[in-house]
Amino acid sequence: MRTYETIFIVNPQIVGDEYTAVLDKFKSVLTDQNAEILKFAEWGTKRLAYPVKKHEHGTYVLVNFNAENTVVKEFERRMRLDDSIIKFQTLLLEGGFEAPLATEAAEAADDVDEENDESEE
Amino acid sequence: MAFAKKSSPRRFGRRKGCRFCADNTLKIDYKEVRTLRYFISERGKIVPRRISGNCAIHQRKVTEAIKRARNIALLSFTSNRTVD
Repeated sequence: MRTYETIFIVNPQIVGDEYTAVLDKFKSVLTDQNAEILKFAEWGTKRLAYPVKKHEHGTYVLVNFNAENTVVKEFERRMRLDDSIIKFQTLLLEGGFEAPLATEAAEAADDVDEENDESEE
Repeated sequence: MAFAKKSSPRRFGRRKGCRFCADNTLKIDYKEVRTLRYFISERGKIVPRRISGNCAIHQRKVTEAIKRARNIALLSFTSNRTVD
């Protein structure tokens, strides 16, 4: 068993019941193969940094799970087939899954002293 | 003698040292675009180590995180258009 982290982008035009159906479908893809879902987070619809399959926006979903490597293969295959998923990325978490601390978010970014020589053309 | 040595070599220096080594509560994560943005130029390029001051280990992690964020459209490959 290994810990993985998958982040996928759902087509932003899919909302409401259809959207939950997509999520349930991919949840069941994992659970049917005895994967253990550790975390399932919906980030909501965001603007993409660059257009993906002609979409300017996308609905991000993050899922952490424990599974065998064959499960990942099948999960990615199913995402590739489904038109409602426009992009996905799976990472192997070598250190295992650790729940993020609440204090982390509170940590403000500290100042940058570097001067940037790049200029906008 | 006329050639008196200058006492202060550099007054206005950049802050030296790796910020991740100095503060080990800071995490490098591709999902946290806000932390990564310090290491990206206006054109979306990764800032080199000689400018950012990162140590080798952390620069490598930052680079990897930026590339992951780019892959999943959290950061752009080229311009300054980023997701917040």
